[in-house]
Amino acid sequence: MKQGVIQNRERFLNHLAEKLGRGRKTAVEKPEWTYQPQREIFKRWSKEELLNLFIKSAKANHSEVYETTAEELPGQLVKTFENFGGVPIVASKDARFAEFGLESVLSEYGVSFWDIQKGSRQMDSAAAANIGLSFSDLTLAESGTAVFFNDKHKARSINLLPVSSIIIVPKSTLVPRITQACDFINQRVQSGEPIESYINMVSGPSNSADIEMNLVVGVHGPIKVCFIVVIDK
Amino acid sequence: MMKVSLFVTCLCEMFYADVAKDVVEVLERLGCEVDFPTGQVCCGQPAYNSGYRKDAIKAAKQMIKAFEGADYVVSPSGSCAAMFKEYPAIFAADPVMKEKARQLAAKTYEFTQFIVDVLKVEDVGASFPVKATYHTSCHMTRLLGVTEAPFKLLKHVRGLELVPLSNSYDCCGFGGTFSVKMVPISEQMADEKIRHIEETEAEVLIGADNGCLMHIGGRLNRLGKPIRVMHIAQVLNHRGEGGEPYVDEDRKSTVL
Amino acid sequence: MSMKIGNQPFFERVEKNLKDPYMRQAMASVQDRLRGRKLSATVNDESLVDWEMWRNAGEEIRTHTLNHLDVYLEQLSDNFAARGGHVFFAETAEEARLYIQELVKKKKAKNVVKAKSMVTEEIGLNEALEDIGCQVLETDLAEYILQVDDHDRPSHIVVPALHKNREQIRDIFHEKMGYTKTEKPEELTAFAREQLRNSFLEAEVGITGCNFAVAESGSIVLVTNEGNANMVTTIPDTVITVMGMERIVPSWEELDILVTLLCRSAIGQKLTTYITGFSPELEEDSLDSPKDYHLVIVDNGRSNALGTEFQPVLHCIRCAACVNVCPVYRHIGGHSYGSIYQGPIGAVLSPILGGYETYGELPYASSLCGACTETCPVKIPLHELLIRHRERYVNGVGHPKTGEKMMMGLFGIGASTPTLFQMATKMAPWMLGPFAEDGRVTKGPGPLKPWTEIRDLPAPSKDNFRKWFKQHKNSNSEGGADS
Repeated sequence: MKQGVIQNRERFLNHLAEKLGRGRKTAVEKPEWTYQPQREIFKRWSKEELLNLFIKSAKANHSEVYETTAEELPGQLVKTFENFGGVPIVASKDARFAEFGLESVLSEYGVSFWDIQKGSRQMDSAAAANIGLSFSDLTLAESGTAVFFNDKHKARSINLLPVSSIIIVPKSTLVPRITQACDFINQRVQSGEPIESYINMVSGPSNSADIEMNLVVGVHGPIKVCFIVVIDK
Repeated sequence: MMKVSLFVTCLCEMFYADVAKDVVEVLERLGCEVDFPTGQVCCGQPAYNSGYRKDAIKAAKQMIKAFEGADYVVSPSGSCAAMFKEYPAIFAADPVMKEKARQLAAKTYEFTQFIVDVLKVEDVGASFPVKATYHTSCHMTRLLGVTEAPFKLLKHVRGLELVPLSNSYDCCGFGGTFSVKMVPISEQMADEKIRHIEETEAEVLIGADNGCLMHIGGRLNRLGKPIRVMHIAQVLNHRGEGGEPYVDEDRKSTVL
Repeated sequence: MSMKIGNQPFFERVEKNLKDPYMRQAMASVQDRLRGRKLSATVNDESLVDWEMWRNAGEEIRTHTLNHLDVYLEQLSDNFAARGGHVFFAETAEEARLYIQELVKKKKAKNVVKAKSMVTEEIGLNEALEDIGCQVLETDLAEYILQVDDHDRPSHIVVPALHKNREQIRDIFHEKMGYTKTEKPEELTAFAREQLRNSFLEAEVGITGCNFAVAESGSIVLVTNEGNANMVTTIPDTVITVMGMERIVPSWEELDILVTLLCRSAIGQKLTTYITGFSPELEEDSLDSPKDYHLVIVDNGRSNALGTEFQPVLHCIRCAACVNVCPVYRHIGGHSYGSIYQGPIGAVLSPILGGYETYGELPYASSLCGACTETCPVKIPLHELLIRHRERYVNGVGHPKTGEKMMMGLFGIGASTPTLFQMATKMAPWMLGPFAEDGRVTKGPGPLKPWTEIRDLPAPSKDNFRKWFKQHKNSNSEGGADS
């Protein structure tokens, strides 16, 4: 792995240490934080309660939300495709599409899966697509959020460039709030595992209130977002 | 009998002697023995807030000295009481003065805070049948943390119709020297405050800090508005069935 | 562009802006709205259990981080570089500009897209890139509007184009870009999306700011709503992140707390639409990641606060909660501060970054009401720091009016000598007597003149309180006439 270049660090950091009235330190033991208010939130909620909270929060963020079972998922998917104006549809390369038995319905709709062999024209296809389809890796109930650990297969373009975004949420991915996502990432970092280059937490369609504090839904990111929650386990 | 030392504050002493008299009488009626340490001057806030720490320290030292023998120090100004609470930090580098400052701060109370939290009284037997609204002063609420006491006391004033003031948390624009250093801004803040007061249709504005009242009242006067401005001590000292003042007809019943 | 806005002296700016009715009404309405939203999402949100604990957590984390800033910046740069990213430490704005100019020149890039970043505005990056022939496009909607309007300056940290109404924006788009639709925000926004879409897809260099850098993983976290930051960090081949050196957390554990504080305090959201943590790409065959990552860490005067009583100002997470409760900001608006950092945080930070010569009046534009200190999610004692600034100002770095120092000196003497004080109190009614009419003074002399410019002053009580009190005590001890 190529090492990047660091410039001017010594002079810069020596100056900071001087200002702090001491010599340079190169390591510090992070304290056990006195205040950890995040640890108590929704701790004892059941998956059912978390699901209800997720649905409520997602709707409040102008996302559409549907609940379905693994059997009915293909049907719900078709309905949503139609609602969102149909093809062209792009999807991330994700083993879960097969796991949930979606191959045939996706093939019916000519869904194009992200394929690194096909080169950077993939980005153009995503930019020209009407719908981007992906799976949530972790789902935050409190804020109606899907967390994506994007990599070369689960490409970030899928839920960024198309006009609308459909996100399949396996119920097993539900956690109370961002605390659990951060804990999960933190553990991996501590264990020395290099994390994905893009970790994106998406809480609905893009929006802005920059004009007279008037909320407009749909700016640069997807203008519509739909979560389909699948009761898996 | 509880011995209370009155910290009258320079503004009150200079411009609102009548308010000070009402404070004394209310406290006495509630069973306190009030004394007045003559060595008191100004708490030093105008100098401190303007950055003149050394001059403020001179005032602070004198005040600490003046109130050394007091059991309770009570002031009709939340802002000035809050300044006493600031003294320990001001003397942080001087352990002897810091301890004296700490002792003074620990026994200092704003007037309504003292009545409700120390004397444990909410009904002082006052009667004042007017429609009024109450101005919450910034230092009293935010720095001193006294938010409930004035309302508890006013609730028991017979005949008083208290209307809530909207945007009450917005500063009136007094801010001590701010009122003379930043006149155009101070003016706008006063005018917005007055707009909200007028929305309540109150006849009287009640407050617990003479600085704010002097500023809002002075502006009301200049604008020719008929709203009366009173310190809460004056309201609490109103007895009599028809809302007549309790004693001393000559006493001014308004701050302005 | 740089941190400074305009060249007019402070009082002139204030007078001018006080006379702008749209701006005044916009400020008041935004404040009321955002204040309410923050309260609902913080103090009044029972699911958080105790908002004070969150503030304490924020303060604790920021204090520790700043006390070990050298450690965490070293860690951040090591981890960023270990993934192939390049790090440049810039002590001054000029160093940062030069590095970025050289980099962009080497890449022969012309199309630059930017996500919102106040530090890039602070260091004047846009002009520096335009100077070398680049087209630099602001992609955040508000910043885009300001840019199209001949580089108008921001008036609020979170809602920069607050001072413009929809008709003005429609006219700007029409005049500069040939826009023909209506002033409806949906249509204006759709137009911006359309205009910027192609620019995103053709961009060669993307520039971002940094909400929080995570030291332990070498990551940059951006907190946004529009999706433009995601476009900027996905499509171009090169991404340059400019970071105020204090915008850092030790690990993802602390990120949780600070992102929660920021989203809820700024706009009352639990999380913004996109919380995006990116790190230099490790997979060489990834098709939609930038190839080249640069992190420029900027001091530009922030270290002036380190190790001093002003250090807490570096806790700031740029939520603008203080701006939203400031009664002074409410009336004078963002541009009056003459700095891209406005309101209470602006009044404390601008003199530290830009000196007292330019920003010395700002700490005085406050009634010290304490609303800012009360609301700050990371517990910066803002109004107290304004007093600390005033102390420095009158003790040599500033130019207080000569009369004032003398007056305060006299005050100090009078306030430490009870007899002098009592004399002043006794004399006041007689001195102001000639100016009083009907119990009030309408045209005060000397130092009272500014007061009476807009307010009446009560005539000092002729009835001396101390005398009354003595008599009152005597009559009480004689069996009391009061009943």
